[in-house]
Amino acid sequence: MTTRGIDFKALSLKDALDLAVLIEQEAKERYEEFAAQMDQHRTPDAARFFRYMALNEAKHGEALAARRAELFGAAPSAVTRAMIFDIEAPDYDAARAFMSPRQAMTAALASEVKAHTFFVEALPALKDADVKALFEELRDEEVEHQDLVKAELAKLPPDSGLSDEDFVDGPTAQ
Amino acid sequence: MSANATCEFQAKDYKSDLKPIWCPGCGDYSVVQGIYRALAAIGRPPHEVAFISGIGCSSRIPGYTTAYGFNTVHGRALPIAQGIKLANPDLMVLAAGGDGDGFSIGGGHIAHLIRRNIDITYLVMDNQIYGLTKGQLSPTSQKGRTTCTSPYGSLENPVNPLLYVLAYGAGFVAQASPTDLAGMAAIIEEAIRFPGFAFVNIQSPCVTYGEEAQQIKGLKAISENLSSLGHNPADRLAAMDLAQHYGEKLHLGVFYRNPEPAPTYDALIRERQAALSKDAPPKERILDLFIKK
Repeated sequence: MTTRGIDFKALSLKDALDLAVLIEQEAKERYEEFAAQMDQHRTPDAARFFRYMALNEAKHGEALAARRAELFGAAPSAVTRAMIFDIEAPDYDAARAFMSPRQAMTAALASEVKAHTFFVEALPALKDADVKALFEELRDEEVEHQDLVKAELAKLPPDSGLSDEDFVDGPTAQ
Repeated sequence: MSANATCEFQAKDYKSDLKPIWCPGCGDYSVVQGIYRALAAIGRPPHEVAFISGIGCSSRIPGYTTAYGFNTVHGRALPIAQGIKLANPDLMVLAAGGDGDGFSIGGGHIAHLIRRNIDITYLVMDNQIYGLTKGQLSPTSQKGRTTCTSPYGSLENPVNPLLYVLAYGAGFVAQASPTDLAGMAAIIEEAIRFPGFAFVNIQSPCVTYGEEAQQIKGLKAISENLSSLGHNPADRLAAMDLAQHYGEKLHLGVFYRNPEPAPTYDALIRERQAALSKDAPPKERILDLFIKK
């Protein structure tokens, strides 16, 4: 979870909305990437879940983008993707070949927790009341998302107890 | 490198339809994203970029881009990249590979590209292991490392890639890691824009055969940004001093950027060709030079 060059004290509502859209886009793309990786490694259940998460992130992003367009039209953005890394997107190393749906959901839950932490930690630095209200809203949404993933996790039967390491070939001497 | 943006490109424009087959969780997924972003920031169209690699997991990278690519033979990315650059100096040439490809079988080539100062950006994905062949000791594996080829622990000291290239006089030396994708993209972009041979060591974890300490969490724990340390990238000796901590600390950023880059070999060749061309015999008489009068 990294930000670079974002001055939270001076963040305007327009930039905050743009930032929120970028965070959702980053997460959407990461989930899509993970889904593709799972397809490549014949792990269809995890791929399906990651696609579902990508769709959700896309929906949130579109809703935020529509709100931004309504308030600020096509005014140029002052924030870029280079300013954020892994805010809501799951960590690259969270994906594993043959991961179970439970492991995939656990990775997604960790991302929702990470995003919540980001908004919580950013809040004290914010000066603008509207931006503060937006970040509080986004923070609370992350809690809702966590609850949704937890509810899905609760529906799952227990894992087989096998880990991805059980599917890795042992080292081969040459 | 003369990297003038001619039109707007986005990262996705450099992404090919080929799906990477690295192990899920591999650091190279992040590296290829960093490369897409760097290429988009520079803005050269994909057909003006040539991406050359050796053999290994990371050497699959050219296939995942829309640039011209050549997945060559083990350890030979650099000489082939050099030939391509000299044959068509207008191409933006990148070379990529792993630590084994670059510092073992291909180790002898690096010195010569550096001394010639050929305008090529060399990205090494350093994971301290031969991953594609299932976990053998590589030139950057730590001393004591247990692998299938070192069952009682390695007796060898690792190669230090940063000191290696700094000692040979590389004009641009940096280190990046998937722990900071945006930072990595910025470093790759800067390396490509550097007019001359540029080297970026990327600590890219092997999730299958890498050790725990070399995974993202372990790398984050030992990473320090060179700019936050107040390092002056124009100071080569200070860069060499910092580079000695390779393997203990993960210094991210630019170690050395020559403030007065030397002319590149490709530019000197062009100059030489231009100077000699006025006295050159016509093509149809070129064989006369070799025939005794």
